[in-house]
Amino acid sequence: MLQISQLALAYGDAEPVLEDIDLGLAEGEFVSLVGPSGCGKSSLLRAVMALQAPSSGRVELAVSRRAVGFLFQDDALLPWRSACDNIALGLRIHGAGKRAARAQAHEWLELVGLAGLGSRYPRELSGGQRKRVAIAQVLALRPRLLLMDEPFSSLDAIVRHYLTAELLQWVEGEHMTVLMVTHDLEEAVALSDRVLLLGNGPRAHIKQEFAVPLARPRDLLHVRREPQFAPLSARLWDALAQEVDVRHRRIAQPDDDVDMAA
Amino acid sequence: MNTLPLGLYARRLATLLGVLGLWQLSAGPLGWVDPFYLPPPAAIGATLVQLFADGGIYSHLEATFGAALMGLALGLLVGALCGFVAALVPLLAELLEPVMVLLNAIPRVILAPLFIIWLGIGIGSKVALSFILVVVLTFFSVYNGIRAVDASLVERVRTLGGGTWVLLREVYVPSVVSWVMSNLRVSVGFAFTGAVVGEFVASTRGLGYLLSFAQSTYNAALSLALIFLVVVVVMLLFAGAGWLERRLLRWKYR
Repeated sequence: MLQISQLALAYGDAEPVLEDIDLGLAEGEFVSLVGPSGCGKSSLLRAVMALQAPSSGRVELAVSRRAVGFLFQDDALLPWRSACDNIALGLRIHGAGKRAARAQAHEWLELVGLAGLGSRYPRELSGGQRKRVAIAQVLALRPRLLLMDEPFSSLDAIVRHYLTAELLQWVEGEHMTVLMVTHDLEEAVALSDRVLLLGNGPRAHIKQEFAVPLARPRDLLHVRREPQFAPLSARLWDALAQEVDVRHRRIAQPDDDVDMAA
Repeated sequence: MNTLPLGLYARRLATLLGVLGLWQLSAGPLGWVDPFYLPPPAAIGATLVQLFADGGIYSHLEATFGAALMGLALGLLVGALCGFVAALVPLLAELLEPVMVLLNAIPRVILAPLFIIWLGIGIGSKVALSFILVVVLTFFSVYNGIRAVDASLVERVRTLGGGTWVLLREVYVPSVVSWVMSNLRVSVGFAFTGAVVGEFVASTRGLGYLLSFAQSTYNAALSLALIFLVVVVVMLLFAGAGWLERRLLRWKYR
């Protein structure tokens, strides 16, 4: 579905943020990217979405770019469009007629639990409701590959749990391929088939890969009680802690580290 | 939008009536001020009634309104267009920005005599002055507005598959409208300033012309009546601009 080969990414003339990224996603696979903050996880997603041109390497998609959905960290809906029109916008761009787009947008409003709120402007919705609109906006286009950049990080725990559970149902039901960036390791284990640990930047690359051998479909509450869940999360924690630790020591004693001095 | 309590209105009205009453008495029976310099409200009112009764005021109102509204429309249009294009085409911004900064820095009414030399004492010079006052303001509000457009909105629309045309229609134009509208009331004030000052300098018609006439004949009552008239007209236009703003920017105010 997605093949990233030898990808490197730099902003301007600075040292590359990412280097030597090789990553393949099979159809229907759910892969999470975790790593120390600022290591370039989001940049990798942006490169896949062609929002950021890689300095070298390739991103190959098995589907057209139109079949790729991107769920952002913030909920940047158009403030001058109602919830319904925000959802309809994507459908209109994808060629639906005005009426058909509206009708479909209304169906999606119902599916994400916002029936009757279609005429509200984003300003008039809560954070969780705006996130639901954003999810509907992306899912309404029936993406085959879904990219998510910490989609629920701004929400409180309860809302977050429900939205994640609902999204998991959609993803499994539609057999979508997902690449998700997250800083929540338990969420990563609970949702993914594989978790990739990105090392410290600059020149960050994939340090370790963890397979998650939990059966699907998963129930977000019960999956955490599976016997494999806790040890896997713990291993992931240790690996990430090690990365973060390395960086802390680098900052504490910068003279020891040639990379940091550069 | 903002509903003031009835009591507040009553207190304000009472104060106004009190001041007017005191004014009337001081310029009349009390003899505290010379009515030649400060005519009583009744005299100003009578002048106003007379202006409308003989119908002479209408051609002046028409001249001022015409110049101000034409200057306003042209200024908004050209300013928005230039600001829009300059924000998207860096080369044009390089050329336009210094000119606009210069025009913004000077008190633009000093251009009035020049416009009269160039365009004559007819309506053209008044439209030009209104235009130049409005266009700079509009240019900057749109130019800065577009450059401050939320980058995440642009990316959002891109990831939904939107191209340049969709971006213009869904992101940039609504941003421009929002910036122009939030400056509309100031622009209306500017447009009237331009028209009246232009008439003041040289003209044969308009409220500015009448003001200039009142001054040369030492007619304080006419001066005050005209000032009152301009205030009422501009306040009505302000209300209209406010209404339009709330209508077009419903997503902000509802």
